[in-house]
Amino acid sequence: MTTALNRLRLLARQAGRQAAPASARQPAPSVTASVDSSALRALLRIRHRQITPLRSEDRELPGVELVPGLRLTEVRQPAPDVPALLDGSFARREAIPTAQALFFDTETTGLAGGVGTRAFMIGASDWMGGQLRVRQLTITTTGAEPAMLEAFRSWLRQDTLLVSYNGRSYDAPLLAGRFRLARMGAPLQGIDHLDLLYPTRRRYKGRWENCRLATIERNALGIVREDDLPGSEAPAAWLSYLRGGSAATLRGVLRHNHQDVVTLAALLLHLRSSSA
Amino acid sequence: MRNRGVEGLYAHQGEAWEATQRGEHVVIATPTASGKSLCYTLPVVAAAMTRQAKALYLFPTKALAQDQVAELIELSRAGELGIRVATFDGDTPGDQRQAIRLNGDIVVTNPDMLHQGILPHHTKWAQFFESLQYVIIDEIHTYKGVFGSHVANVLRRLKRVCAFYGANPQFILCSATIGNAKAHAEALIGEDAIAIIESGAPSGEKHVLLWNPPVVNPDLGLRASARSQTNRIARAAIKAGLKTLVFAQSRTMVEVLTKYLKDVFDSDPRKPARIRAYRGGYLPTERRDAERAMRAGHIDGIVSTSALELGVDIGSLDVVVLNGYPGSIAGTWQRIGRAGRRQQAAVGVLVASSDPLDQYVVRNPGFFSDAAPEHARIAPDQPVILLDHIRCAAFELPFRAGELFGDVDPTVYLELLAEDGVLHPDSGRWEWIADSYPAIAVSLRSVADGNFVVVDRTDGRQTIIAEVDFSSAPLMLYEGAIHMVQSTPYQVEHLDWEGRKAFVTRTRVDYYTDAIDYTKLKVLERFDGCVAGRGGCHHGEVHVVRRVSGYKKIRYYTHENIGYGPVNLPDQEMHTSAVWWQLPQHVLEELLPSRQDQLDGFLAAAYALHVVAKVAVMADAVDLQRAVGSGDGAWFAQADGRGRGQLRTMEGGLLDPAKADSFVPTVFLYDNYPGGVGLSEPLWRRQPELVRKAQELVEACDCKAGCPACVGPALDSGKGHTPRALATRVLAALQAQA
Repeated sequence: MTTALNRLRLLARQAGRQAAPASARQPAPSVTASVDSSALRALLRIRHRQITPLRSEDRELPGVELVPGLRLTEVRQPAPDVPALLDGSFARREAIPTAQALFFDTETTGLAGGVGTRAFMIGASDWMGGQLRVRQLTITTTGAEPAMLEAFRSWLRQDTLLVSYNGRSYDAPLLAGRFRLARMGAPLQGIDHLDLLYPTRRRYKGRWENCRLATIERNALGIVREDDLPGSEAPAAWLSYLRGGSAATLRGVLRHNHQDVVTLAALLLHLRSSSA
Repeated sequence: MRNRGVEGLYAHQGEAWEATQRGEHVVIATPTASGKSLCYTLPVVAAAMTRQAKALYLFPTKALAQDQVAELIELSRAGELGIRVATFDGDTPGDQRQAIRLNGDIVVTNPDMLHQGILPHHTKWAQFFESLQYVIIDEIHTYKGVFGSHVANVLRRLKRVCAFYGANPQFILCSATIGNAKAHAEALIGEDAIAIIESGAPSGEKHVLLWNPPVVNPDLGLRASARSQTNRIARAAIKAGLKTLVFAQSRTMVEVLTKYLKDVFDSDPRKPARIRAYRGGYLPTERRDAERAMRAGHIDGIVSTSALELGVDIGSLDVVVLNGYPGSIAGTWQRIGRAGRRQQAAVGVLVASSDPLDQYVVRNPGFFSDAAPEHARIAPDQPVILLDHIRCAAFELPFRAGELFGDVDPTVYLELLAEDGVLHPDSGRWEWIADSYPAIAVSLRSVADGNFVVVDRTDGRQTIIAEVDFSSAPLMLYEGAIHMVQSTPYQVEHLDWEGRKAFVTRTRVDYYTDAIDYTKLKVLERFDGCVAGRGGCHHGEVHVVRRVSGYKKIRYYTHENIGYGPVNLPDQEMHTSAVWWQLPQHVLEELLPSRQDQLDGFLAAAYALHVVAKVAVMADAVDLQRAVGSGDGAWFAQADGRGRGQLRTMEGGLLDPAKADSFVPTVFLYDNYPGGVGLSEPLWRRQPELVRKAQELVEACDCKAGCPACVGPALDSGKGHTPRALATRVLAALQAQA
């Protein structure tokens, strides 16, 4: 206790002394380094809310580990026959080349905004040889983020058409920020992006309670999700896994994200056909 | 340039040009209207035109920023320079933000917006930061105390983000005349700077009148109120056809003075208003509207708080009246400088209030005209402030092991944030993982977050008519308070403390209200102490409880007290640092046998020490406070209306001093900020000088028993000792050789 008090004094004195006639700008000796956080907490009167480290038995996630901390799942599932070009008039654009479409959706650490929010999962689907290929990248350490971004960048070609739901305002700017932070330039710049939120809104505005993807897929596409994890629980699921918690909810996030990119492909076809 | 009336450079402008071209950080501290802005406009514009360099301008207020942008746009247009200038602040529409981020050559903003709106989104500003060459910070003398300490940390964050983009911008800072411009600038930016303090510019003739209201009660040393005198002077000036600006110290006073002037000049509601109020807390549209009306010359009288102090262009003025000393010499010149900008003669009148600082200044005109300009001080390493900004910085870019924040090692703070689950240490980096946006929770200008909004419910309306910051709320928005907006009175009917809302209705009353508050301190930890005469002086950590217990109703014009009301609000509590003086019980008993006398002596001495301490460290009045109590928090003392001490327990009950168990009265001066802002330790180090100066102040005063200029107003009861005499004894004992 006495040592804590002494350190606290040291800290308080340092805070005081720094303010004394700031005539000569002296670099502060790094006294703070010797002060522990409980002394600082005492000085600042901050309540201690230590998060308890978790130790779960269930740590299994599907897929393969590409590099430490980065997992990839890849699934191919049946898809309807898709023409090479889709009429793009519903989205006020030229014909849509289906072989170049990459449907994508991210799961993030929250909605607070700013550069502190990151994506921990990127899901993407595309049509390949009569099937829909669904690939998902998940990081299990913060350090693996650049590897995830690199992997996602390798999925993009100059002629890729990104397709998303609200991705122009949310997912793409968020990823662009993460690329910046990882000093990986701006790979999304110049890549065409079709955000299905806007044509969906034009079509269905006012029809149902809102225009969220889940509402649209249920009512317009007849897709029913069973024990789906609400998107809002995704941040907590990942955080808990990061701290050693159970993988069960994070697997739920993977299923949720998987369904999102499957739905995106179906929604594109639906919007095109119902506009004809 | 020539089209704008600029023919050549003054010496200080040339000097600034050369220093910036050498790549040095520069601080320019020359008088108001000496062409400071040209010192930074020149290098910025030259760099923008020759090498697409970008510049960031920081002004302390939005109004000032908008003013500068108007000037710069005009300059660019007149010279066909093609420079893109824009303000970026809370009022900037969403659809313009992207264009400003990508294309702005000069972005003008304020520290709050940089802190909450720009740095936390820096990746969107990548191109801007990559080419950022100049950071201009004007009016740096306003960045002192708590606010200045916050700003210094925002600049640490700015430099950190710039470094990420490979930029190392040059800083050009400007200040009104302060004594430590160089040191203050260096403390703000954390680097060495060249100071330019000689002005080569001519200035218009300025007449400054110091006006001490006449004594109306010689016994108490009470003078006519500054409020009534200010009103008289302003009225006479406006009647004489002079454009007049009145500065008042508080928002309430702005409203009261506006009402008085409106009663005279705006009695006919069909005519456009000639008098306007201007202060913080009005909605932005209302302020812009007032600024436009003033510039257009439609307004004859403006009543304002310091919100207008800084160079907001409101057209030319003839007279500036200060209702009370603004608390610093720099602030006084800054306000008076608002009159007669364009080299014409102007008058500034300082009306002294009964506040001791005012009386000190007005009785020592030499202090005002000859004294060395004061020093601006900041404490950027204050732990509470530091923790806030390290949190924000960790959100913006992960800290790497061993990385410094400014010149502070942030490890202990990062560990604390990690324990709270905000940061996640991973291979030598502290990664942000919380779902929150920390800058929103940190206000640069006040202690606690959460402004209160004032909602008008008259006739079933639900209109927000004003905002009040958290720390002022207990003093302004208690139930029963009369809250004025443009001198229209509203009564607070319901205060939703948790929801931060005050519901008011329009009312017609002939009084305004004034909160009664008191403070209790308890010593938690003594850091250090020394002998002070026959007693001791110490500094350390204290627990402060502040309570608003009720309010007074004060009638307009007569200012008589016409009633009281109770207030039930949560106590404001904090831990902070303080300096305190005590005399041992036996010394006290020997000195003054009566406990009442001992108490009165301490209260009077505290008053005088507070006056000299405020002058010594040039503290903002709100940053340094005083109190008298027992060191263990058992009781605290207050002077009654006649200058006699009363003991109270924290529950508010009266206590007989003779019956208190232990009786060690203590004078406290404390930092009014959680964790302290570094005022009290320098005071402790200078304590012999403070006690001596307090003694001189009390002895030199020409009042009888005590007055607002020395130990506080006191009645000479004709028997016993006067508080003045008691204060001299206490102060002498604190200096005596043991």
